[in-house]
Amino acid sequence: MENVEKKLREEAKGLLAEKKVDVVVGYEKGTLPLTATPCFITTPEEADRLVWNPFCVLNLAKFVHDLLDQHHEAQKRVKPEARRKKVVGVVARGCTSRSLVIQLQEKQYGKDEIVILGVPCGGYLDGKKLAALAGGEEVREGALSEGKIVVKTVSGERQAALKDLLADNCLVCHFNQPVIADIQTGEVAPVAEAEKEYDPVTAFENLPPEARWAYFEKEMAKCIRCTACRNVCPSCYCRICFAEQSQPRWVDIGADASDTQLFQLMRMYHMVGRCVDCGSCTAVCPMGVDLRKFLKKLDKDAFEMFGHRAGVSLEEPAPLGAYRETDGEEFIFEPKAGG
Amino acid sequence: MTDKESAKEWEPKIVAIVCNWCTYAGADLAGISRIQYPPNVRIIRVPCTGRINPFYILRALQEGADGVLVSGCHPGECHYITGNLTARRKFAALKSFLGYIGLEGDRTLFTWVSASEGDRFAQVIRGVTDAVRALGPARKLVKRM
Repeated sequence: MENVEKKLREEAKGLLAEKKVDVVVGYEKGTLPLTATPCFITTPEEADRLVWNPFCVLNLAKFVHDLLDQHHEAQKRVKPEARRKKVVGVVARGCTSRSLVIQLQEKQYGKDEIVILGVPCGGYLDGKKLAALAGGEEVREGALSEGKIVVKTVSGERQAALKDLLADNCLVCHFNQPVIADIQTGEVAPVAEAEKEYDPVTAFENLPPEARWAYFEKEMAKCIRCTACRNVCPSCYCRICFAEQSQPRWVDIGADASDTQLFQLMRMYHMVGRCVDCGSCTAVCPMGVDLRKFLKKLDKDAFEMFGHRAGVSLEEPAPLGAYRETDGEEFIFEPKAGG
Repeated sequence: MTDKESAKEWEPKIVAIVCNWCTYAGADLAGISRIQYPPNVRIIRVPCTGRINPFYILRALQEGADGVLVSGCHPGECHYITGNLTARRKFAALKSFLGYIGLEGDRTLFTWVSASEGDRFAQVIRGVTDAVRALGPARKLVKRM
């Protein structure tokens, strides 16, 4: 891991010094123990702030899109001859690179506007599991050494293996290496048990419908509609989200349970074949809504119905933007003859 | 218990979102041919099934529809060549997802009816009405306030 970090800093420094990129989006040490936070590096001197460790959580593709989108917008107000290109370097793990692929595919920016610094990933620390380890107390100090996490709280010291604290999506990740990268740093063996990917979905599918509805209702009741999940999602980049549109008003803003359910349903439905299971939405959710249980189903459907894996190839379009004449028709309603 | 929920007088309310070129013409033919079908269905005409935002379906359910039927041209017969083929994927994913969260499968129904199938249109409406009637009034995703 340290080698990766060192290499990453060197590469970022080089890119910035040679003016190949205007900014590098990466992670720096967070203000709290055992955290890392996204950062924007614009000068070679700052590159030493970059870190790469299991505390790097959020999917950085979101920031790449935001930066480039703002830049494109700003350039519209500049005379054509004075327009300039902005290039963003980004530290990308497997899921981040897949989000970048989705954004490239959806023509949000050109391949020449990004430089991907690929990093190997063994999964990241789940904040909620860490909080559980600390028994809900504030983590005063924390350290990671030899695959063990040690936290110090006011009532004492606790420890656990890193593997037990990894996020659920990391435990079943297929993509420990980025799918595309301009510069690749380091290599690690995959740790994930990818074949178990859809186990929780299958288990949920086998529950009776009423139990599934009860679970959905319970989870959605927690949601306070802060839209943090949307704001952090790299696939949610509409300038005006349906949730905030007023003409037409797609979803009411009332306190009725169905409004929240519809908001979440629709946001999730937009993720068919576009969710890379980066876990950012679950990580930022202040209410701990189990979004992954539902998003993973869409991922499974996209894979099983349309043979599509989100963000894996630059050529294959998102499943709902394409069709095959041979697509399944089992769900089509057939009336009984003469009925 | 509201009037809607009292089982005796309750009649299913079904929203049918149909495409202008096939199913709407099919419904027209059913009318011209004087084929009887249940009056529970409210038809909304759209240019093509590909134009239907899946949110229309969810919104209809939220606003009190007991069932939603979407019907368009048979695959390969779309006025806009491929509109119904992309729609087919959207609906497959939507239906599967709604089933996953525990919504009854027969609340959202999809079918194809061509302009010459007035008979089939009436059959579909009969079938859909029976299916929704069997489920009873919608209780999930419905707006209460």
